[in-house]
Amino acid sequence: MTSNKSRSPKPLSRRAVVRATALAGTAFGACLAAGRGPLGFVRDAWAEKAYPALGNYPIKGSTVKFGFTVPLTGAYTDEGNDEIKAYKLAVKHINEGGGILSTLKPLNLKGQGILGKKVDFVSGDNQTKPDAARENARRMIERDGIIMYSGCSSSAVAVALQYLAQEKGVIYMVGLSHSNDTTGKDRRRYGFREFFDAYMSGVALGPILAKEYGKDRRAFHLTADYTWGHTQYQSMKDATEKQGWKTVKNIMTPLGTKDFSQYLTAVLNSDADVVVLNHYGADMVNSLTQAVRFGMRDKQVNGKHMQIVVPLYSRLMAKGAGAKNIEGILGTVNWNEKLTDAGSKVFVKAFQDVYKEPPSQAAQTAYLQTILYANAVERAGTFYPPEVIKALEGFEYEGFGPGKSTYRASDHQVFKDIYVVRGKAPSKMANQFDLLEIVEQIPRKEVEYDSKLLGGDLGPYIPNKT
Amino acid sequence: MITPFGARSRYREFWIMSGVAAVLAALPWLLTLIGGYTELATPILLWGMFALGFDILLGFTGLLSFGHAAFWGLGGYASGMILLRVSNDLLLAVAAGTVVGGAASALLGYLTLRRRGIYFSILTLAFAEMFYYAALAPLQDWTGGDNGLTGIPAAQLFGIAMKGWPIYAVIAAATFAGIYVARRIARSPYGLILRAIKANETRVASTGIHTRHYKFAAFVISGLYAGLAGALSAAYQTYVPTDALHWTTSGQLVMMAVIGGTGTLFGPMLGAGIVLYLQNVLSATIPQWLLVQGLIFMAFVVFLPGGVVEAGRRLARALSRGRKRQPPVPDAASVKGVGSVHAD
Amino acid sequence: MNAANLSLQLLTGLQIGAIYVMIALGLTLIFGTLGVANFAHGALFMIGAYLGYVVAEATNHWVAFIAVPPAVFLVGIVIERTLVRFFYNRPASDQILVTFGLALVLQELMRWIFGGTNLPYGTPPWATVPVDIGIGYYPPWRLVIVGVTAAAVLGLFLLLRYTRFGLVVRAGMRDPEMLGFLGIDVPKRFTLVFGLGALFAGIAGVIGGPITGVTPDIGMAVLVPSFLVVVIGGMGSLAGAVISGLILGEAVSLSVLIYPPSTQIIVYLIAAVVLLWRPRGLLGVKGVME
Repeated sequence: MTSNKSRSPKPLSRRAVVRATALAGTAFGACLAAGRGPLGFVRDAWAEKAYPALGNYPIKGSTVKFGFTVPLTGAYTDEGNDEIKAYKLAVKHINEGGGILSTLKPLNLKGQGILGKKVDFVSGDNQTKPDAARENARRMIERDGIIMYSGCSSSAVAVALQYLAQEKGVIYMVGLSHSNDTTGKDRRRYGFREFFDAYMSGVALGPILAKEYGKDRRAFHLTADYTWGHTQYQSMKDATEKQGWKTVKNIMTPLGTKDFSQYLTAVLNSDADVVVLNHYGADMVNSLTQAVRFGMRDKQVNGKHMQIVVPLYSRLMAKGAGAKNIEGILGTVNWNEKLTDAGSKVFVKAFQDVYKEPPSQAAQTAYLQTILYANAVERAGTFYPPEVIKALEGFEYEGFGPGKSTYRASDHQVFKDIYVVRGKAPSKMANQFDLLEIVEQIPRKEVEYDSKLLGGDLGPYIPNKT
Repeated sequence: MITPFGARSRYREFWIMSGVAAVLAALPWLLTLIGGYTELATPILLWGMFALGFDILLGFTGLLSFGHAAFWGLGGYASGMILLRVSNDLLLAVAAGTVVGGAASALLGYLTLRRRGIYFSILTLAFAEMFYYAALAPLQDWTGGDNGLTGIPAAQLFGIAMKGWPIYAVIAAATFAGIYVARRIARSPYGLILRAIKANETRVASTGIHTRHYKFAAFVISGLYAGLAGALSAAYQTYVPTDALHWTTSGQLVMMAVIGGTGTLFGPMLGAGIVLYLQNVLSATIPQWLLVQGLIFMAFVVFLPGGVVEAGRRLARALSRGRKRQPPVPDAASVKGVGSVHAD
Repeated sequence: MNAANLSLQLLTGLQIGAIYVMIALGLTLIFGTLGVANFAHGALFMIGAYLGYVVAEATNHWVAFIAVPPAVFLVGIVIERTLVRFFYNRPASDQILVTFGLALVLQELMRWIFGGTNLPYGTPPWATVPVDIGIGYYPPWRLVIVGVTAAAVLGLFLLLRYTRFGLVVRAGMRDPEMLGFLGIDVPKRFTLVFGLGALFAGIAGVIGGPITGVTPDIGMAVLVPSFLVVVIGGMGSLAGAVISGLILGEAVSLSVLIYPPSTQIIVYLIAAVVLLWRPRGLLGVKGVME
């Protein structure tokens, strides 16, 4: 008899449920009431400079924190390492002066931090993955109270972080992102990109490719299968077809592919005489090296010498692929360490003094973005994000790179001159870092385009809180 | 912790669930005490729910699936797509995600449960990877490819926007309900059969029970939990990464379950908290945190297959019994391992 | 699409399959004899690639080819003696979990020591010049891979068929218990077999490293397809591993011509279809873990 009773599990009575909920509710309320609610959620009613609280503004204390999320693992690790070095340098210069603070105009920074506050930073590894990056950023926003975050080497990461920035009300200065979408269809009010985009690369390269290789070419594209690759392919296709080239085929390769042999064999099996590698980072190092191994540089098709094009170049990638492989290959870069303007020279020297090697374009954009943000805050006289945003929109500056650059208000993209480069022959290299030579500097107005071309909507200054 | 044969005390279940409720309420604050941050509580609960369902499959039925990320990811995509294209309603999105997760698990369960052991595990892995690669390339226009599903608008529930505290409350409530249901299942005769299957399937089958049906049901239950958790995750993150479908996500789930302690329901949830803490807090201080995580995982598999829960139990036993040693009792499941039954 | 083009694509498939075969051989050897599903096998491949890079940079590729596989063999022995042997009597899921954990630890260890960036493991200078093989130019190193794999398969076959040790291994794959009754030192044989499997993974790493690149995650990347190769071929069947490795390699290569986005999925599709239709794999022994 007794065993029967104990066999059936006691159901949760209604009373028990009510009691449990009451307990839970009290615990919950106690947390909030004790003022121990998390900073991110409980809005302080401080009215500093008559600006309402937003994101991690207002800042308490005498230091302000930046957050840097870079890829330290994954396909774009090399760039990530360079970025973090540049970020550290930028913070040092903001706090102590030096670097491009001596050349940037107009400059509001005084080399003593920002608005009297010292700058500190936290960093995280986003593994070249959008979700890891977002979690990094969330942690830095919530736990570390950052007022701005920056960094990435993949456009997928950039896009994901931009959406988060808009949601959280914390400004995001894009690191290395080349996809059109970042300031195109995925543009956001809280995101800013200094690095150039695929459209600009395409437009810059098109005429030069036609000049070097002729107008009667058939191109086969191998493209990294994500937002950047897609827009890069599209821009290159449009630009080359405008010159009279034909696009034979495009194959998408997953990001992080190690062995491209089946794709390269397919290229060899076609009648293409140019192969365009819409790859970056480790992808490009592998695809280029393997393409050369498959004899693509020596092959003759249709009576012409086969050529390889790498639309987006970087010195780090060139190093990874090796001078012998990149010799003579054309591509574009955002900036080059051999530029002779005062700002570039100062930056290169400062970087080299600390890290014993010249900075890459990833480092350059990271560094510049940080300084530009700091400068904008100083100009706006406050850290309140909408005011900083307004200070950046339409900002025209010079003193780092050639000529004048502008942060266009309609899409938060910087427009400036960019460069077409070519890989150097090993015999012509002055030292182990001298891998690229500048073929031509493309003036800004040639690569400018209407912001409506790429679509997108920036969104509001104040993130929706409904 | 799971008492299958009736409660020891009438109110034991009530006290346990109240304890759960209290923990759920205080979790965000508790995290800040150990160097975490309040928002970390939400992923912990989401993964906790995911791991909870998974434990019914691994801990109770003894089936090691490396493909559960598929249901989590599909649930996320379904929910995300509803929020993106159809309606803002959280209930609809979550329902869609749960249904999709359950349906996918029904399909996969039907296909993979025909085999056992290592073949089963590898089959689950293979099928799940198919989903991943399908989402990455051929179905990019729907899933956003490598970008993932971006720009998902905030969900609404009865007119309240699902951000910040409100969505945490919803997720906590869902977790509470999930734990309650899981405990009911575990403590029911059905749960008993599952554990028997894990101990010795042939023997159970010889009593006339169709083990395949029970295994299938366990598989689908875990798939429903995964779909639910994934759907809520999409609404919370307003983003679905393609990686959600990758087998390493399943691997992480397995790690959580093992570190926490399989077969205990609470163990894997605790494991979820530990792993996420390592990922998000430790990763900032130690660059080699992945190595630390791997070592911890291995240590548990080798020395403490029962996970943290087992460690806690042993500690409690050691403290309460002192020096008095129990005479060795012949144990049916004398081979102690992660894949063995915990005597209770 | 003419015959020359098709043969070029087929050749690429052969070479892709070769790497799978090398790793699958070790896997199926270990599983067939020891009954352990070694999730750490990819990590052994990765170690082979890293060691290959280090030695090749310090000396040259020949030295690497001779020195590294035995080193990985030793690593395998150590792993078996210190870890795996305690898991023979634990449930299969435990074996998977511990080797999976080991794989993670090894991967992160390499990342700690060498960093996460791709190490430039190049091929020897003579292999960088594409060679004309009649149907087109082809990278010589990939031909080397095919050659080495063929030699390794032949070597293994000869070892198993014509040596005492091979006889014991084959017997052990059928019935390890019986072997013990016959007075053969089973634990020692097991250790050697694990080491042998590791040896093959090491060879694969040394010759495959220049192709796959040298990063910590190449182990995991190669593990899953290799497992599928083993399972499709039939766990415990060496001939099965060879055949299915080649089939999958060709499938990956040819799918690029037909429908490029399928090239990643095709391996899993074939695995799923084969396993559902014939659960023991193409040439597997009936009753093994069904």
